[in-house]
Amino acid sequence: MTASSALSRRGFLGTSLLFVAGAAVACSSNPQEAASAKGAKVTLTQWYHQYGEEGTQAAVKRYAEEFTKDNPDIAVNVVWGADTSQYETKLNAALLGADAPDVFELGDFRAEMARKGQLEPLDDVYGAAKSGFVKADLDYLTVDGKIYGMKTIDDIMMLFYRKSMLKKAGVSVPTTFAELTDAAKKLTDGDVKGLFVGNDGVGDSPYLLAWSQGKDLIDGKKVVYADAARSIGGLRDLHADKSVLLGFTTDWYDAGAFTQGATAMQWCGLWALPTVEKELGDDFGVAPWPAYDSAGKPVARLGGWTQAVNAKSKHVAEAKKYLQWLWIKQADIQIDWAVKYGFHVPPQTEVAAKTPELSKGPAKDAVTIGTKYGISFPAEWTQAMQAEFIAAASDIAKGAAPEKTLKKAQSKAQSDLDKQMG
Amino acid sequence: MTVTGTTPLRKSGKSRRSAARPAPASAPRRRRLTERQSKALAFAVLTAPMLLGLGLFRYVAIGWSFLLSFSEARRTISLGKWVGLDNYKDLLSDERFRDSLTTIVLFTALIVPVTFAASLGLAVLVNRVRRGRAFFRTAFLLPAAVSYVAAAMIWKMALFSGVPSGLANTLGALFGADATPWIQTQSPPLYWIVLVTLRLWLQVGLYMILFIAGLQSIPPHLYEAASLDGAGPWRTFRSITFPMLRNTSVAILLLMLIAALQAFDEFYAIFSTGASLGSEPVRTPLMHLYGVALQDQDYGVGSAGAFLLTLLIVLVTLLQGRILGFSRDKD
Repeated sequence: MTASSALSRRGFLGTSLLFVAGAAVACSSNPQEAASAKGAKVTLTQWYHQYGEEGTQAAVKRYAEEFTKDNPDIAVNVVWGADTSQYETKLNAALLGADAPDVFELGDFRAEMARKGQLEPLDDVYGAAKSGFVKADLDYLTVDGKIYGMKTIDDIMMLFYRKSMLKKAGVSVPTTFAELTDAAKKLTDGDVKGLFVGNDGVGDSPYLLAWSQGKDLIDGKKVVYADAARSIGGLRDLHADKSVLLGFTTDWYDAGAFTQGATAMQWCGLWALPTVEKELGDDFGVAPWPAYDSAGKPVARLGGWTQAVNAKSKHVAEAKKYLQWLWIKQADIQIDWAVKYGFHVPPQTEVAAKTPELSKGPAKDAVTIGTKYGISFPAEWTQAMQAEFIAAASDIAKGAAPEKTLKKAQSKAQSDLDKQMG
Repeated sequence: MTVTGTTPLRKSGKSRRSAARPAPASAPRRRRLTERQSKALAFAVLTAPMLLGLGLFRYVAIGWSFLLSFSEARRTISLGKWVGLDNYKDLLSDERFRDSLTTIVLFTALIVPVTFAASLGLAVLVNRVRRGRAFFRTAFLLPAAVSYVAAAMIWKMALFSGVPSGLANTLGALFGADATPWIQTQSPPLYWIVLVTLRLWLQVGLYMILFIAGLQSIPPHLYEAASLDGAGPWRTFRSITFPMLRNTSVAILLLMLIAALQAFDEFYAIFSTGASLGSEPVRTPLMHLYGVALQDQDYGVGSAGAFLLTLLIVLVTLLQGRILGFSRDKD
């Protein structure tokens, strides 16, 4: 072993150690420190999912900055996250780790998170303002008597239809499922399909079918969706005629297929209404999903986003203060958030009444549909139940026996529910 | 230690004694390690960071996951509620997971020979061209650098989208075919065309490069002798090229088997709808486990599934080793 080779080895080792040390230092420096250096005592980390509408990211940053202006002690580090499909997965992983956000959004509220102690009860944040919120929202967010979240927007999902195409095909807005399949068939013409419920041809339709038959998914501590075998069995009829649009480039939550004329009817949300209005003028209308038959009822799905506070956060009090300031007191911001980036409904009735965009035209119809027919997922609903239910519905669309398939899925969902409650 | 290192050991003993003696400061004598010791030290120092990293981030994690697979862990990764083999039983009694296992075994049985034949064929062809070999090699290898998800998006939204303007449908229209939703059509299951073409496009180039490396290590005099004996191209391939590629082939086959059994990315990207899983016509085991562990936060059952899948991969690998041998020396 010559001296020079020893030296170069040592040199190599030294360099490698320096590199490792450097990497370790680089990794450990926290982006949050930058924000807190501005003088705020506490920096909250807040997670949003990635909204598709332009300007949303700048808007939520602006809201946070305005809060810090009013409350110089608290800075908010807004983290703009993954898109809807990945957001919950990432959030769940983050909540198990040390870098969990203090405040975060939830798409579908999961009662299980509250029961597992991941969410902080927010009853004191609501206080007297509680009575001003839509009751359906409060019920949805209440677990064992406490409220664990605060809706920031209510979304209404409903059926969009092209007036001119319906007129040309000689069909009226469907009021039963039979009329819907019939209309879809008549509206299918060359490259234009009758109905779009999602690229997989299933989308939300199994839920809508069950609800429109007057059945629910969960009743108390029982999973009961197999009762809706008759209506969910209708999926097969819907697909038999090849009148359903499949495999479009954007999915049902984007109005693309509808505005580009690939489909005459589409299941979509209130958020897309400004885009549709811009593209199609007044050549469209909105309707609830039709009642399954004369014994059923029309339905719309209620969704939206909910803010929640991490129960394990070190800054629960500050996080609550922030939520209260933003989503209870700042009516102007709430209206800005609700209607400037796609249309949504503010969850406080008084604020919603003051929102001019929602008081005319199809937007007004949509709000009426939402109030009259809107149904949310049960809070006990989990992603596993959803996956199992949708898989069963897809099998039925392919031709599986509805009752048997749903019963099998239901018994699995029941054991999930038992575990969750127990 | 006992047999080989007698002399160095004695030497080292001496030097240690000498090191223990206080040496005058001016003396340039240092404690010297024997070659053997210094090699061992260098080995330890150089591999320690890697081993520590592996131990901490891999083996501890794997061990933890193994323990998780025996406990109920919903929305938590802490241990404690032991449930024995319940997670494994749950999973194996789940028809959709069993279906996914069947799917992946069939998929592997079909895709591995196809990928193998395609990459070997391409390698032989590219190796034979005289002009522009580097160009073809690069052109076929490039897709291997593309991310599975990005490629899946191109396949899903541009090539095989259900709208009339999709590439496959545009081509079909030239022959008078109606626009077809490739990914959603269940009977016949056209989505396999999408999945298989995508996987071949992504993988064949990489394996082709490995085969070319193997081809170039075959001594040219064998071919010269064969051509003197009047062997045609097929005979040459059968009697020289293929047998000489044995070790390469076995290694590549192993990589292909593992890659096929772990299929996830392109299946997930092609079938995901923005909501949770459910409506996809085929599901691989990893997709099922992704749903269980990461979407539904049941880390216990998820870990159990990971170990079942690992077991499957180990079994298939051992079976392959049993049949083909792992990497035998040429004899």
